[in-house]
Amino acid sequence: MGGELIDRALEYASRSSRYSEARYMEILTNDLSYRNSEFEGMDSGKESGYAVRVVNNSIAMAYCDREDWGRLKEAIDHAVKVSRKPGKSSIWEGKSIKDSWKVNQRKLIEDMSVEEKVTLARDFDSLMKAAGADVRMNVIHDKRIKQHYVNSVGSDIRGDVARLYYFYMVGVIENGEFEQSTKEYGSSSGYEYLDSLNLEERITSDVRDLHESASAPRPSPGKFDVIVGPEISGIVAHESCGHPTEYDRIVGREGALAGESFLTGKKFPFRIGSENVSVIDDPTIQGSFGYYRYDDEGVASRKRYLYRKGYTDEFILNRESASMIGKDSNAGGRSSSWDMEPLARMSTTYIEPGDYRFEELFEGVRKGIYIKSFTEWNIDDIRFNEKYVGKEAYLITNGDLSGRVRRPVIETTTINFYSAVDAVGRDLEFSAGMCGKGDPEQGVDVWMGGPHMRLREVYIQ
Amino acid sequence: MDGRTTYEAQRGVHTVTADLVDDVFRRLQQEGFQEIALEFAKENVEQIRFSASSTDLHNYWDEENLSVFATRNGRTVSTVIKDPASIDQAIIRLKEVALRTPENPSFVSINREQQTYGKGMASHFQSTDLKDLQDAMINGSLAAGAERAAGLIYNRNSEITVRTSYNECQFSTGGVEGVIRAFKGPFTGQEAQHFGFSTSPTGKTFEEMGSEAAATASATSQMSEINPGKFRVLLSPYVMGNILSYSSGFLSYYAVETGLSCFAGMLEKEVSTGEFSLYDDPADYSGVGSRMCDDEGTPTSRLEIIGRGKLKSYLHSTSTAIRAGTRTTGNAGIISPRAWQLSLNAGKTSLEDMLEGLENGLLINNAWYTRFQDYRNGVFSTVPRDGVFLIKDGEIQGALSGIRISDSVMDILKNVTAISRERKRVKWWEEISASTMPYAMVDGINISKAF
Repeated sequence: MGGELIDRALEYASRSSRYSEARYMEILTNDLSYRNSEFEGMDSGKESGYAVRVVNNSIAMAYCDREDWGRLKEAIDHAVKVSRKPGKSSIWEGKSIKDSWKVNQRKLIEDMSVEEKVTLARDFDSLMKAAGADVRMNVIHDKRIKQHYVNSVGSDIRGDVARLYYFYMVGVIENGEFEQSTKEYGSSSGYEYLDSLNLEERITSDVRDLHESASAPRPSPGKFDVIVGPEISGIVAHESCGHPTEYDRIVGREGALAGESFLTGKKFPFRIGSENVSVIDDPTIQGSFGYYRYDDEGVASRKRYLYRKGYTDEFILNRESASMIGKDSNAGGRSSSWDMEPLARMSTTYIEPGDYRFEELFEGVRKGIYIKSFTEWNIDDIRFNEKYVGKEAYLITNGDLSGRVRRPVIETTTINFYSAVDAVGRDLEFSAGMCGKGDPEQGVDVWMGGPHMRLREVYIQ
Repeated sequence: MDGRTTYEAQRGVHTVTADLVDDVFRRLQQEGFQEIALEFAKENVEQIRFSASSTDLHNYWDEENLSVFATRNGRTVSTVIKDPASIDQAIIRLKEVALRTPENPSFVSINREQQTYGKGMASHFQSTDLKDLQDAMINGSLAAGAERAAGLIYNRNSEITVRTSYNECQFSTGGVEGVIRAFKGPFTGQEAQHFGFSTSPTGKTFEEMGSEAAATASATSQMSEINPGKFRVLLSPYVMGNILSYSSGFLSYYAVETGLSCFAGMLEKEVSTGEFSLYDDPADYSGVGSRMCDDEGTPTSRLEIIGRGKLKSYLHSTSTAIRAGTRTTGNAGIISPRAWQLSLNAGKTSLEDMLEGLENGLLINNAWYTRFQDYRNGVFSTVPRDGVFLIKDGEIQGALSGIRISDSVMDILKNVTAISRERKRVKWWEEISASTMPYAMVDGINISKAF
């Protein structure tokens, strides 16, 4: 691992700044893809570089990818110079931490041969083809990240992370109708994660469902009791809880980009819906795609309740936004690469499971729709007005499934959604995703999840 | 001249570019790689970000990347080399991968014809006081009635060398880009523009962006409500930029071949109305998306994609072109072609006349979070923002919130009834790639809303 200049960079930056920190990251990646039974080549990458943050009258960051003191010094000089211009300059400094941490792997990424990876992707493609998928894309991505963080308070933390990501997209044409499905799986681990997923069954089932959905009727618009699956609970937790509770959004720092928050200007705790709903963000879940023991600002991670029993609770804070609210950072500072600033980010965001068995959720539903998974979705920039289009979905009549429906649409608001939740299942499933934010846009690895939930009187389009 | 690029000369940096590219090229050949395409990019970028009308952060990047694409007996490999010290390790890895992976049928060849290149634009890069430009934008917005403003400005310069087994091309690209969002109560307005090396952005320009964003945020103090349904909608250059940026992926032959394009099978068929002509125009140096050659050394040029409503061409690399039985369009991505800088033609109607002609309908100034439920048919929705107005009898009746454009790319293009004479160079975040776009009037757009 490189990074020999990190102490020198910190010492040099500290001479001319009120607070400073330096981070060195080395990222090794491998990507390969299969498209419609054709292997599309393999990309292997190695990136590394320094990020140095200085705080004076404003905050500045310098990024340099060379083990060249002259270049790095010049970048730091530039950052120090512009940080003397006026601007926001508060930052939570915290205490000194010295530690190291590592993601455990059983089937090591570096031991996995090229042939084994190719075979995995090829076999997934073959499964899809055998199940009748007309369009097939499979992408396997792995990475090792070695990171060294130091700051002017005295922290010195080394991290060693392994992450695995598998993405696929399938499409089917049934009687001239097209349906598509994308799935993302990710973990902080070695390749043992893929072995644990029973992907053969999942992929085959997904393609079969698409065929059936393509020939299903659209639902008649109207009000229904709705049971949503964990995939939808997860995206809802991520989009309409995780994002609006990122405190940098609440104070407007993403105003011209990903937007602000419907919570801006509210008095807290603010009621967001039913007391049945609590949402957690937890970076400490071992193996999760968003797992970390220390964030990219050297702060020890911990579990955070974002919504608790229908009210806002904690916000996601990095060093900068913590100083704005006058609290300690709760380790939300993440950056996607060595050349990106740490922003207030999610990790694994999920709706806390309740007490209901799956079957119990259906009891008492006279006219309903079970939406197990979704395809298109989006949400407005204050994270209030959202849309989820069902992928695998069924009508419910008097508590029983009574046939598939195609692309039912929930288009509602955050408060209407959470207020309609009257029962929360005891199950819990996660799916992986790349969460986007910032400019340059940073995609960070996350999990999102939840249990099955029942919502009453939801308008379906 | 001492062999250094403009940027290196300005910064007093001695070039390592030629040596590095030569070294990697030679060693790849020695290891038996047959077709090679290298792209060395030396990038220097400054950025300022602001919100609540004051600076949040200054960013400064100093980066060098050598992108490598190479083939060996039908196998393709790629990597990025950042550190000259890691060349040995990278090439050993590439050879190992080439020996142990299957052939890549998507790859046929890179461009083998000897190319000639134009002069391009010399880099005009100079370190700019972005704080001054930021203050001009903020002051422009506050003076025009905004309560606060957020945004950012980039100053970019890239010195790029593309060297392949058959050609070598060097050029500069970059420029300045800015975005400002003005806030007034619950209302917002946004402007986002880019300026390439042939244009000279001034503080005045940025001040005007601020005042225009504030004017949109201040256009009404009333909220209106509509029921879902079909509407005549005047789409701003930002909305057109958004929809066409996303659609450019469908225009890549890669998507067509995959089975995920709503433009598949539409060559020489009508996909829009007669006034609609869409180009990819990387030779336009007034924008930051300019580029002299593509990833395999093919010179770029103004490409007619849609001409007078008819689909004239997909985006091709040499490999996709051979597979399709046509010629490359200079849009490699060697495996997956892409657009560089879209340009929708100016129309015949003034914006003023279009607003009058709207009579009853919607005016949408920006949109984001465009997502597709069906790539093959182009079915999507996107969330309007930053100036969404109900127009009655040609006047703004009030602002709308909580609505969506829920429609398909193909239906929107087919229902374009007018295009404005006025155009803007638009670029915003990941939503709008660098492009030049007019306003477009579209009939019968499906608008949905939240319940």
